[in-house]
Amino acid sequence: MKAVATVARKEIRDALNSMWLLLYASLFTVLALGLSYLGERNLGSVGFENFSRTTASLLNLCLLLAPLVALSLGAGSIAGERDRGALTYLLSQPLSRSELLLGKFAGLCASIALATVAGFGVAGAVIAMFATSLNVGTYLLFVVLVLGLIAVMTGLGLIASVVSETRVQALGLAVLIWFIAVFVFDLLLIGTVSATSLGGGGLMLALLLNPVEIVRVLAIIHLEPDLQILGPFGSYLMERLGVGGATAILTAALVTWIAFPVTLAAWLFEGRDP
Amino acid sequence: MDVKERDAVDTSSPMLRISGLNKRFGRARILRDVSLSVAQGSVVALLGANGAGKTSTLKCILGVMPFEGDIEVGGASVRKNGKEARRRIGYVPQAPPLSERDTCREALSFLAELKGATKGRVGEMLELVSLAPQTDTRVGHLSGGMRQRLALAAALLADPPLLLLDEPTASLDVESRHEFHGLIARLRGEGKTIVLSTHVFTQLDQLADRALILDEGQLAFDGTLDELAGRSHARRFVVSLNGNSSQVVEALRAAGLDPSELHPEPVEARWEDVLASLPKRQPEPAAEEGP
Repeated sequence: MKAVATVARKEIRDALNSMWLLLYASLFTVLALGLSYLGERNLGSVGFENFSRTTASLLNLCLLLAPLVALSLGAGSIAGERDRGALTYLLSQPLSRSELLLGKFAGLCASIALATVAGFGVAGAVIAMFATSLNVGTYLLFVVLVLGLIAVMTGLGLIASVVSETRVQALGLAVLIWFIAVFVFDLLLIGTVSATSLGGGGLMLALLLNPVEIVRVLAIIHLEPDLQILGPFGSYLMERLGVGGATAILTAALVTWIAFPVTLAAWLFEGRDP
Repeated sequence: MDVKERDAVDTSSPMLRISGLNKRFGRARILRDVSLSVAQGSVVALLGANGAGKTSTLKCILGVMPFEGDIEVGGASVRKNGKEARRRIGYVPQAPPLSERDTCREALSFLAELKGATKGRVGEMLELVSLAPQTDTRVGHLSGGMRQRLALAAALLADPPLLLLDEPTASLDVESRHEFHGLIARLRGEGKTIVLSTHVFTQLDQLADRALILDEGQLAFDGTLDELAGRSHARRFVVSLNGNSSQVVEALRAAGLDPSELHPEPVEARWEDVLASLPKRQPEPAAEEGP
């Protein structure tokens, strides 16, 4: 575990020395503030919205941006070291491949989480000063869900990184995963529902296949507990599972999604030439 | 594993023992049944033309790529206990990929932590390789020779008994090469076991006790440098000339020598000459391929 912590600290230090972390945090801050302000203007008055509305506005944006950032950085990690000839050198040190991969995973997650929390923190503080009502809990829960999604996508990025020969190839694979998770999956689901008689149960199972959708529904459950925004599927969730049951199943699925990709990446990494 | 067990190096056995080492990349056989051992405290030159399998051999010893066969470092099996085997090795690659943004201190501190070395060793090693004044200089601002010395300092952090040096001076100028060779000679004097992979012969006689030659993945020669020199049909002598060389050329001809090639730089022995002087291998049976 000491080697994992050492690699993770190095990863965080490298991230803090690079511009991307600052850019990413700045972008999140600007978007959080901008969306809140513009949302209020569209409703006819000028000022900042409350936390819940800001959270709802940010939801779709975060579900687009956070996975892309996490996938890209995960994909660039091992493949990037391989590209610059550093992977053999790192593996020649007294640490196992799993320790190197877990250290990279932990360091990347911590770096992206730091940038995300910083961005949301600044936005949250500013909104708290001007908003008419406060729902800090929902806002914080949303941040936690985004962090969970970041961990999932970093793990998937690591899989792309391990199986690719070059960094460019890994990044291409990462963008493909992002595109499928964020755009194609929804379209496929709509097509499947239209073409078949997929019921609420089938839809729920299909939803568990995509971590982006898991986080989206978890966020909505806590933003709009009556689930009307989800239409018939929301009614199904309320009737069959209730808010507690749905939250438990979706949270368990999200935790599984966090653990599975990084475990698979470590397994794939074991048998490969550097 | 406790510290006692971790630190225990089997002093009765060779520092490095390789038996039946085979390595394939797809259908290509990179290493073919390589077996050798390196005694503690000896310096071995691993020679071979580019692509002969030197780097692959070192990577197998480091356990960073899968291989067939057995490798032990100080009694620790690379396959079964790779971390422990690597703890006993200091590795210097041809182009050390240390992070350019890091200072020398940061680069070594990270590696010291991985190797379980104390922080105090960082300063000591920078002193040893004459890089103490560059302690807070970024790696990206170092010359090639300095980077190579920094990599040697990194390799020595945990005071490993075995050093693997992979073409460490290939990209250095003559002065830096001499400096680096001086460091190797010093480590040799301190009793380190050193495997030095190279494709050039310059100064080998001053550095190595023994030569191993790899040819197309097979061990083609294992003996002393004198034995190797004795076998060579094409002995070459390097004569540095100052000013008009025509009189020297005439004198050499008069002595029955053939100064047919005159080079502005020192002439290296040619690999084709060296390999031609070695006993011919038996033809290899066709490699068995899996289904």
